[in-house]
Amino acid sequence: MTRPERRPGILLPGIALLAVVLASLAAEAAPAGPVSVDIGIVVASNQGTSIDPALSALRVKLQSMFSYSSYKMLDRAKRNLAVGETGDFALPGGRSMKVTPVAAPPNKVRLAVQIMEGERNLLTTTLGMSRGGMVLVGGPPYRSGVMILLISAE
Amino acid sequence: MDCGKVCLMLQDDIDGRLPPSESAEILLHLESCPSCAAEAAGYRRVGEMLRLWAESEAGEKAARLDAMWTRVRAGIDERRQRDEPASWWRKWIWVPAGAVLAVLVLLFYPSDVSRAPFHPTSFDVAVEDLESDAATVALVDKGDDLPRVIWIIENDKT
Repeated sequence: MTRPERRPGILLPGIALLAVVLASLAAEAAPAGPVSVDIGIVVASNQGTSIDPALSALRVKLQSMFSYSSYKMLDRAKRNLAVGETGDFALPGGRSMKVTPVAAPPNKVRLAVQIMEGERNLLTTTLGMSRGGMVLVGGPPYRSGVMILLISAE
Repeated sequence: MDCGKVCLMLQDDIDGRLPPSESAEILLHLESCPSCAAEAAGYRRVGEMLRLWAESEAGEKAARLDAMWTRVRAGIDERRQRDEPASWWRKWIWVPAGAVLAVLVLLFYPSDVSRAPFHPTSFDVAVEDLESDAATVALVDKGDDLPRVIWIIENDKT
């Protein structure tokens, strides 16, 4: 009588694959930590040539993307929001913004963003970014320039 | 040496301004000439009187000079005593002033994030959906090195 041949070459990779699948499922199921949402409200115009010191790290990028000569940060707000929690941000010119973190893979952030002007829906979007990432939303006129929102989250 | 020459050189001899050889010649002449010897004695008396007068003048002035120096020294000492605390104060005033300034900076420097510079680590953003009821919305993507921009165009104004 002969003993059946053992096949260790399949067993170990199978266990490893199962572990990886279980780990990824556990990570997906784990509740995401709070998201720190950082909103900078900038007014860009062609009046003057000054750039706010708070925007010094973005000076070159702003000048590469836009043709304004002056960038001034009007306000800045930072909120720690749990997934599903909505943060309200007041914007100049009677506008407002709602930001809600939604479920995202690890090390990623997804934000549901809505910008309103009174009752009018100016923008509804969902953004997916790495933690520490940034996106710009601009265009609404404000005073003699335009408003640009710097939205970052980590 | 004749009397005329001796008379011309007599004052220099008395003052000690002649070389020893000429002084010896004059002395030799004075020993043999009573007239020149009398002249020399007169010169010496006048010189002695001048010296005494100068000493008396100096003595009188010395007292006044001493008094003046005493007053000057007293004034200097008084000024020094008055200035010493002030100079110490000026020397060390920067320590409490610096401490107060540091405390004020710590108290009033905006500790919130409102003025802290932005330091984004990534511009890799996925815009999953984009809607607007009141404006035209454009997504501007100028590459991975630049942030993505969602541009809202209201009333067709770009």
